[in-house]
Amino acid sequence: MPMRRSNNPARRRPVPPLVSGLSGARNVALRDDEVQRIAQRLGREPTIVELHAFDAQWSEHCSYKSSRHHLARLPTSGKGVVLGPGEDAGALHLGTHDGERYAVVVAHESHNHPSQIVPFEGAATGIGGIVRDVLCMGADVIAVADPLRFGRADRADGHARYVARSAVDGIGAYGNAIGVPNLAGDAYFDEGFDENCLVNVVALGIVKESELIHSFAPKGAEEWAIVLVGKATDPSGFGGASFSSLTLDAQEAELNKGAVQVPDPFLKNVLMRASYRVFAMLREKKVAAAFKDLGAGGIMGCSAEIAAAGGYGAEIDLDRVNVAVDGMPPEVIAVGETQERLLWVLPPDVVDDVVRIYNDEFTLPEVAHNARAVVVGRVTAQRRYVLRYRGAVVMDVESEFLTGSIRDELPYTEVIRHAGPAEELPAVDVESVFPRVLAHRDVASREPLYRRYDAVVRGCTVTPRGAGDAGVLAPVPGSRLGVALAVAGNPRYGRIDPGYAAEAAVLEAMRGVVAVGARPLGLTDCLNFGNPRKPDQYGAFVAAVDALARAAAELDLPFVSGNVSLYNESASGDAVPASAIVACIGALDDIERTVTPGLKKGNSALLWIGSRELCAGGSVLADVLGLHGALPEISYAGERAAVAIVQDAIARGVMRSCRAIGGGGMLTALARLAFDAMLRGRSVGAEIEFGNPLCEAGGFICEVSDESEIDLAGVLRVGRTTHGRTLAVNGVRFDLDRLHQIWSSPLAEIYP
Amino acid sequence: MSPRIAVPVFPGTNSEDETVRLLRDCGGDAELVHWSRASHLAQYDAYVLSGGFAYEDRVRAGAIAAHDRMMDAVVEGARGGKLVLGICNGAQILLEAGLVPGTASARKPTAAFARNAPYPHFVCRHAFVKLVQPPSRSPITAGLAEDALVPAWVAHAEGRLAATPEHLDEIVRGGHLLFVYAHADGRVDDAAVPNGSALGCAGLVNREGNVLAIMPHPERDGWNFNHLDRRGEGDVLAPSGGAALFRSFVAAVS
Repeated sequence: MPMRRSNNPARRRPVPPLVSGLSGARNVALRDDEVQRIAQRLGREPTIVELHAFDAQWSEHCSYKSSRHHLARLPTSGKGVVLGPGEDAGALHLGTHDGERYAVVVAHESHNHPSQIVPFEGAATGIGGIVRDVLCMGADVIAVADPLRFGRADRADGHARYVARSAVDGIGAYGNAIGVPNLAGDAYFDEGFDENCLVNVVALGIVKESELIHSFAPKGAEEWAIVLVGKATDPSGFGGASFSSLTLDAQEAELNKGAVQVPDPFLKNVLMRASYRVFAMLREKKVAAAFKDLGAGGIMGCSAEIAAAGGYGAEIDLDRVNVAVDGMPPEVIAVGETQERLLWVLPPDVVDDVVRIYNDEFTLPEVAHNARAVVVGRVTAQRRYVLRYRGAVVMDVESEFLTGSIRDELPYTEVIRHAGPAEELPAVDVESVFPRVLAHRDVASREPLYRRYDAVVRGCTVTPRGAGDAGVLAPVPGSRLGVALAVAGNPRYGRIDPGYAAEAAVLEAMRGVVAVGARPLGLTDCLNFGNPRKPDQYGAFVAAVDALARAAAELDLPFVSGNVSLYNESASGDAVPASAIVACIGALDDIERTVTPGLKKGNSALLWIGSRELCAGGSVLADVLGLHGALPEISYAGERAAVAIVQDAIARGVMRSCRAIGGGGMLTALARLAFDAMLRGRSVGAEIEFGNPLCEAGGFICEVSDESEIDLAGVLRVGRTTHGRTLAVNGVRFDLDRLHQIWSSPLAEIYP
Repeated sequence: MSPRIAVPVFPGTNSEDETVRLLRDCGGDAELVHWSRASHLAQYDAYVLSGGFAYEDRVRAGAIAAHDRMMDAVVEGARGGKLVLGICNGAQILLEAGLVPGTASARKPTAAFARNAPYPHFVCRHAFVKLVQPPSRSPITAGLAEDALVPAWVAHAEGRLAATPEHLDEIVRGGHLLFVYAHADGRVDDAAVPNGSALGCAGLVNREGNVLAIMPHPERDGWNFNHLDRRGEGDVLAPSGGAALFRSFVAAVS
């Protein structure tokens, strides 16, 4: 529809001088050249609504303009891939039950900037958003995970402690209320995150592969209805997308509070259940539809993308939007990021049924003020994106110009691969050093943190978070299929070498999934880096992408979903430690074959399977002793061999318990196996001999019932399990209860 | 026709599916009754109120739901002798509705599950609850052994039994204290109590024995795959552990 100039109020609005005025205005991140480009393409000055729309769509947050071309190097296909990156979530083939193929749906995002400023709401809406990404694929949401990076929370009155506590409380408050278990996660505390925390969130869903719902208008969707569902649109979260694409500045922090969204897990609980009912109705009627989360860019971003991805345009009438307050300007209604909203594209004949389910059966308007499902527009064959407000057209642009990929080729400095001195490790006094390693902020028990999260709602939990290196669920009622999830990303490595850290994250997450007996299926990533306009910080990002691509190719694991978070830097301009955070999803054909937590029996052989390179670089040991040194070499051939040995031992039924070796080295992994046994009422200790058991070389520590069943090439017997509550290392005896106390205490200070 | 069990769903309930599933796996004829079908509730023979955050736990956990029209049928049924089991948020609702301990008239609470202490946070941890009355005290526990230990998961921020000294005394004298927190070996001490609950209380029953409120979730430790280390008899998908309480409930309903 052509724009009628005569009665267009937006046209009459005083548009400030195009270049310096608007792009310099608060909360508008568009650059001068970008504003020029828009004006040229439109052949006129953009309206206020259009400026805000492009501001959101062309933000780094939405457009991935400086990252997309690098991300193209990640492998994203493979036989297990049901759906690769590109929609709101990816999907991996889990297995078959009752003749039906099931997929695990997975999404991974960050909510870093909001969480630094208002940590409770910022982290809670992180969970809220990631859950919608999985829900809108037609999946039952079965789990969340939360890789967290906080500053020095050990300081009793610092802002870092406030952030660390409130973010965790926000994650718990949201996930607990909607009834989704927290299955995995990790937490690091490092001064590099004092002014810019990282709150990454992962969600998993389960769906029959034949019943996946896509986030693009399907073939033949001309004139279908666009239905907005959820919370009444309010002024919260206006400018959120561009906000996320600016650096945090303490002075601006207060001003930006309005850009942070407000969570409503109570409404979400009902919205999820109502959506499950809608899925069932659509399946019964065998009707195609599209469903998409409203995230960055609000109604505008979501409706433009859902239409454009199907090759269509859309026309939205902003006056039909259910709003929380009257008098909001059209740009706020259009691009504000009010939480708890989703968008359907539906064939006209099911619209009434869908609206009835949300509004009458699930009584959305009674659950939250003016929450509801409402028809706000239609899909159009013309590829134009049109917004109307009070009868006038306030936006009319080519939909692909709005949503299409823009690209910033930014210069970057090549990161030189770390090559530390291959120094000899000093002899370590295990008796005095091991307790310090166990109490280290990166090793100490995370239970005080995650016990605030519901681990078991839905009744499907096989191995809860913490009891193994990956959490395990039985996601399909009545089926033996299992899904495992682990996350990783070590900032101590990130400080030394961004690429190495990225590879190590893939390996660590994969090992976690293998250690519980699952078959790794695929990966997701969230790349948390600094300012792309600073060549050295951008170079760290590029190096991490290359490293992820290499690791994924070597291990034959695809990335099916991911997210990029840039501009993570402090007021002084230092980037956070390079943080490629990775999740690995694994499958179990039979949950009965999972390796259960903790040592099982005295007098079992203890085997170290995998790399045993004795390097201190980046390790907790190095941090405790103040050492610097080379990072352990990565050998993919060695890694694949170790995984094969572990999987073979599990298949033969000789694996009694197993942990991947990570922070704190083999001895820490072994102690945790002993703690897990102790907590389950079994008194099993261990006796080992090994040069330096605190090195973080990788591999697995395994308790096996019968060594003769294992190909011992590449395997070292380090000792045996014992009866009783002691851990003996090179002749030094530790009392397990005391070690457990040392390990359990530090985080209880932060999370009482 | 076998007796029918309703699992009412309030806005904010979140444990309804696994509750129905375990009831069915234990032989019960159970189904969800959604709040928009509240008028159907009266026709059921027994009720299980499941976990969650009904009405967002506004005011106090369970306080709003206790006065919802969904509860009319439950209160009426309880008075008429129907069996009612409330788990976690369901338990909170039963206390707020005054059905348990039920020492005053209906909908007049005499005790509450209040904020955990000393730390007010949500706590999720595995627990055991010990039956401290004869199993026959309630038809719902009649199928359990003397001193039975039932595994369950604590997952709440408001699970601390709180009442005036007089009302606590009534709870003890009236034999309302049905379950207390215990260690895996059956020992009972303060360390086993996750939330500062008075009397170490994990579960309360009304005078007549037909209404039981229990804070931890037996249904989340209700199948072999939830506890492969302690698995009971049968297949990995078979009910066991916390299912003992559900079996006993279903048997009492039938």
